[in-house]
Amino acid sequence: MLKYISKRLLRSFLTLFIIMSITFILMRQMPIEGYFQNYDKLSEAQIQNGIRMLGLDKPMPVQLFNFYKNLLKGDLGMSLRYRNNVPVTEILAPKIPVSVRLGVMAILLALILGLPLGTLMARYKGKLPDHLGTAFIVFIQAVPAAVYYLFLQLYGTELLGLGLLFDPDKWTAWILPVFSMSLGNIAYYAMWLRRFMVDQSTKDYVQLAKIKGVSGSKLMFRHIFRNAFVPMVQYLPATFLNTVIGSIYIESLYSIPGMGGLLVDVIKKQDNTMVQGIVLLFATVGVIGLVLGDLLMVVLDPRISFGAKRGNR
Amino acid sequence: MAKKTILSVKDLNVKFNLRGKILHAIRDVSIDVYKGESLAIVGESGCGKSVLNKNFIGMLDVNGFVESGEILYFGLNGTEAPGQAVDLAKFKKERDWLKIRGKEICMILQDPMTSLNPLKTIGSQIAEAIRLHQNLKGAELKKAVIKTLEDVGIEDAKRRCRQYPHEFSGGMRQRVVIAIAIACKPKILICDEPTTALDVTIQAQILGLLKELKSKLDLTIIFITHDLGVVANIADRVAVMYAGEFVEIGMCEEVFYDPRHPYTWALLSSLPQLGVKGKELYSIKGAPPNLFKHIEGDAFAVRNPKALKIDFIEKPPFFDITPTHKARTWLLDKRAPKVEPPEYIRNIRCGKEKRG
Ligand SMILES: Nc1ncnc2c1ncn2[C@@H]1O[C@H](COP(=O)(O)OP(=O)(O)OP(=O)(O)O)[C@@H](O)[C@H]1O
Ligand SMILES: [Mg+2]
Repeated sequence: MLKYISKRLLRSFLTLFIIMSITFILMRQMPIEGYFQNYDKLSEAQIQNGIRMLGLDKPMPVQLFNFYKNLLKGDLGMSLRYRNNVPVTEILAPKIPVSVRLGVMAILLALILGLPLGTLMARYKGKLPDHLGTAFIVFIQAVPAAVYYLFLQLYGTELLGLGLLFDPDKWTAWILPVFSMSLGNIAYYAMWLRRFMVDQSTKDYVQLAKIKGVSGSKLMFRHIFRNAFVPMVQYLPATFLNTVIGSIYIESLYSIPGMGGLLVDVIKKQDNTMVQGIVLLFATVGVIGLVLGDLLMVVLDPRISFGAKRGNR
Repeated sequence: MAKKTILSVKDLNVKFNLRGKILHAIRDVSIDVYKGESLAIVGESGCGKSVLNKNFIGMLDVNGFVESGEILYFGLNGTEAPGQAVDLAKFKKERDWLKIRGKEICMILQDPMTSLNPLKTIGSQIAEAIRLHQNLKGAELKKAVIKTLEDVGIEDAKRRCRQYPHEFSGGMRQRVVIAIAIACKPKILICDEPTTALDVTIQAQILGLLKELKSKLDLTIIFITHDLGVVANIADRVAVMYAGEFVEIGMCEEVFYDPRHPYTWALLSSLPQLGVKGKELYSIKGAPPNLFKHIEGDAFAVRNPKALKIDFIEKPPFFDITPTHKARTWLLDKRAPKVEPPEYIRNIRCGKEKRG
């Protein structure tokens, strides 16, 4: 077990390393304006001086090495344009909990609503609940997210009597962003769970369970749902990423002081070090999703043995 | 010993609705199953063996329905109907079937590799059956699980009940499936080709186990198979099925040594054991009839080279040969011409006379 986990973690670090290196190298190809507060007003000598100070004149491998060296010390560099000469970590620190809270709530809500919806659709396959659910899923997947995000904001804020500014201390203020962010995943979870449950319910072992007298909700949950949930786990990483992507738009829409909104801001302002820092965080979330998916799979399915050759899947 | 009927099927007709077309899968089937016997149902693939038996536990596919007929079950001895028959053909709701499934009638499926839940331990799957039907809990339940596993011949049961199905071989899994079935304490056990997916030595072991359990637990067994070798091994009585109906029913020796229906002849002639060395093995020509269409006369007539004219016009009734043996063929009518069975069948008869 331990060996499997450490191997898996090592691989995730490698993934992160590759993502970060590529981002870093790409950022260096941007115009150097991105490293100065008011580039236009600076003299040539000041610019050269700045470049030397930031180490931008060194060869790429050296720069990359320095970046990782600082990263290990927990230093992501200074923000230069978004805020002048403030450490990136200092800017990010208060925003991380906001985004994490939003993301976790959105995923939980998606699970709480999506799984029962999928179960209901499988249970009443071909009947009204199934049709309604399918209509919902098709709607969510066909209509661009921005459209229903805006729609929800427009009518939702009015309905809930919210002000235009986001107030993190008022719990009602969280309702709309969390709900908007979870919609995509609700559809996703419901769609896959329905499919896997319908698959499972035609299996022989379900027949045998029925023959021995298991019925109704026991059959539905102890056998069909339980077994359909295992393949669902594969899709967990994708939903983590969905949430991250959703947060980028939702946070700026509701002016939530989180990282998604921030990413849009810093890209607009061409603050290269800030972009690097945020990409690193988002990539980490994605990789954590992947690892979590794999580990859950191992825990839930006894046929997958921990990394040993015996597993037949 | 007087035979007590435990299950009585009367003029059963089962149909399937396939995209608006109606398939007549079970045609006017009647049969009595006696308490404590083992009845084999034989016939080629698609003749309706599984469909017939699924009716007894309410497991018909959703597009299937009982059009007419009765399935009387006499085994219930609870307060609801002591000694009285209940008509299973009238059951509609899942709740009705819960009285029957498991504790009255249980079934073993063909493929042991897929019959067990891959994510649950063997022990918990047996425990689930015991909890449903025997009201045991805690340590007693655990003991009962281990005892059941030992009853089906699994060694080291204490350890093995914590294992998952993928840690068991095919034969072992079928033993587990049998353990689940007997844990329900059923009165009738339907075995739908329980050994088809297993190799020959394992087959013999499983058949041996079923025979042993039958006498130990006083089970009534309905055995579905197309392997006549298996029939000879396990059955007291044989019912031969063709195109959704029974064509011959009799005690095992009667059907094997004195078969009367041309289809039974054909079926026996294709047994490898009866083939003559150097001669090509007999195989039945043609295909079974299309069950979407109405069948005129004797369903087997079109494939029977020696069919009589009347076979194509009118469906024969059952003719009694002995009190326990009957066949549905015009050959048994007084007016019928004498038609000799094929050579193989005559050989068996001679063999029997010489020996007997
Ligand atoms: N759900 C269904 N819908 C339509 N037709 C069906 C359905 N289930 C079974 N049938 C038909 O009913 C007939 C009898 O099938 P059944 O499964 O009972 O055959 P069988 O005798 O058990 O064959 P085998 O030896 O292959 O198991 C077949 O012609 C089959 O095509
Ligand atoms: Mg079958």
